[in-house]
Amino acid sequence: MPYIEVIDVCKQYSGHTAVDHVSMSVPEGSIYGLLGPNGAGKTSLIRIINRITHADSGEVLMLGRPMTDADVRHIGYMPEERGLYKKMKVVDQVLYLAQLHGMAKADARKALDEWLQRFDLTPWADKKLEQLSKGMAQKVQFISTVIHRPPLLIFDEPFSGFDPLNADILKREILRLRDEGAAILFSTHNMSSVEEICQEITLVNHAKVVLQGKVMDIRQQYKKNIFEVTTVGGETFHYSLKEGESAHDAIAHLNEEYELAGFKEVLPSMHDVFVEAVK
Amino acid sequence: MNRTFLIIKREYVQAVCKKSFIITTILVPILSIALCGLLPHFLSQAKSDEQKVVAVIDQTPGSPYAAQIQDSQEYRYNVIAGGVDDGQCDYHAIYRGSEQSLYALVVIPSDFDKNTQVHIYSEKSVNGGLEREITHSLRKAVRQQRIQTSGIDSLEQVIKYCTPEITTANIKWSKEGEETVSSAEISMFIGLGLAGLTYMFVIIYGAMIMNNVVEEKTNRIVEVIVSTCKPFELMLGKIVGVALVGLTQIALWAVILSVVGAVFGITSMAASMGEMSGVADAMAVSSLPQDSSLYHIVEILLGIDYAQILICFILYFIGGYLLYASLFAAFGSAVDQASDASQFTGPIVMVMVFALYAGMFCMENPDAPLAFWCSMIPFTSPVVMMIRLPYDLPWYELAGSLVLLYATAIGLLFLSARIYRTGILMYGRKFTFREILGWIR
Repeated sequence: MPYIEVIDVCKQYSGHTAVDHVSMSVPEGSIYGLLGPNGAGKTSLIRIINRITHADSGEVLMLGRPMTDADVRHIGYMPEERGLYKKMKVVDQVLYLAQLHGMAKADARKALDEWLQRFDLTPWADKKLEQLSKGMAQKVQFISTVIHRPPLLIFDEPFSGFDPLNADILKREILRLRDEGAAILFSTHNMSSVEEICQEITLVNHAKVVLQGKVMDIRQQYKKNIFEVTTVGGETFHYSLKEGESAHDAIAHLNEEYELAGFKEVLPSMHDVFVEAVK
Repeated sequence: MNRTFLIIKREYVQAVCKKSFIITTILVPILSIALCGLLPHFLSQAKSDEQKVVAVIDQTPGSPYAAQIQDSQEYRYNVIAGGVDDGQCDYHAIYRGSEQSLYALVVIPSDFDKNTQVHIYSEKSVNGGLEREITHSLRKAVRQQRIQTSGIDSLEQVIKYCTPEITTANIKWSKEGEETVSSAEISMFIGLGLAGLTYMFVIIYGAMIMNNVVEEKTNRIVEVIVSTCKPFELMLGKIVGVALVGLTQIALWAVILSVVGAVFGITSMAASMGEMSGVADAMAVSSLPQDSSLYHIVEILLGIDYAQILICFILYFIGGYLLYASLFAAFGSAVDQASDASQFTGPIVMVMVFALYAGMFCMENPDAPLAFWCSMIPFTSPVVMMIRLPYDLPWYELAGSLVLLYATAIGLLFLSARIYRTGILMYGRKFTFREILGWIR
């Protein structure tokens, strides 16, 4: 059963349509990509899911029943524009947000200590946020998003601002949360990370869904019958199938000219799919 | 409710632990003590250290006047002997030629008896204090001289008898005709003071609410917070939290002031007691029947209905604060930086200033239509009603004013919450008043 289902949701802001009949469902234990160019309506949709704003029509179901205000405590949300209280200590800040999410203070304190240790932030626990480096502050933001162990996590551009080393640490943690069963909605422009960690995606453009499905299926759907050919001599080149030509025919044909060492289908990258779909 | 409590707690703890809070809490009483108590003391010290030298030339026959001008703390008068010809004398040369550097040169002309005009020469701009000292001394001298030359016996007593000082005694009747000394004016001043306190509180802590709202918005943390609670809870938490901060600060000021007052009071008890009794005498003379004394002042102070004033103050204080605080929160949510908020706060402050002026007008005309309407309109009633309070208003006027105030405050709280809900998510440009009102829908 999908953890969260968005059904035919519409939202307008003063005459401008931000979300136009969007439907999607995010299963438990998977990472679901929400893609689209800037201004496509991703943030509006996310705000509807975590009930910051309300849809004009359509509904959002959580485990098959309509979501209520009380359900927001089952969501962890990390917005793209990160922000925490600069003058507040790391500990106070995370505990405050955890308690707002309905966690008991003692439980939150215990969980926080574990997370701080995991991210090597223990010595910084009593420092004010403004004393931390940007990377460390981002980690604190991540901790405050996941500390209450929400079954649904929404990350808006989680890797932006992270150096490659810390981005890897973060990716590892996101995958671990997925393996523990969380449903993760992942909004990003970074297409290589989509290929790497998303099982399914929805691509929105101009408020509408333009592409939806499993990452592999979509790449298959957008494939152009291009193959990477490697010869025994080490030469590599791309070969496009001619009309009516099968891969089998191509191999036979190429075998006449070259001594083949490899023949592999090239699937379009999500980057190419994205560009083509929103063109 | 639990979340609102968490938000109140955070607002309170964060604000109270801030360095700026601790500094202002300590500095304000110190500064006010310095300004009210020590500064005049230092100023008077500074004055007496530099006694200015003023030369006096008396051209009248016999030079009787110069000697009448007495040295004071500020000025020393050197009488320069006569022998200088009237009209042809180079006073500037005398001024310049003096051994001591002169502050001014006072010339009493030979026709002073008739014209009663003196000339004060100086290269500096002469201050009013010197003028007052000289005219005061000379007026006395001329008066004395004229009474003597009139030849009428006991003229001095006659003049004194003919210029009486009139005093009034205000006696207020109770319904049964019992006499009590009127306390309306003192009550009104207490009312104005308390209303001023309300408005000061609203402006200082309203601005704090606005800054906190803008800070959360620019930090972008507001988006995380409103994904855990309703924007209304966040706004209400802020308004209540900041109010508690303000009340704490005022309470601390009161404690510091009374502790400092007690410490200073012991050392200068004798002096202040003397002053106090002086004040009491003055009041007794100016506003009470001749036979009254300190007892009557105590009677006036006891005659004030403190319970009524206090209850009304608390009610109007809370109502007025809620009314304005929610406006500050709403407008704070509509801007990206605190400096942009002035276009919205300007009108709020103008209304408040108008309310204070209306309040002062009402002290003179407590029954005027303006006074009535301003004590009904919720934006001005917290000030104006506090001032009209001593005038035995019908209970339904008071109740009507309070109902209007609270209805408006609660209504505005909900309207502001709607603006706030949208405003905190709007970034990137300045919004017009009309657009902001559109968010209510």
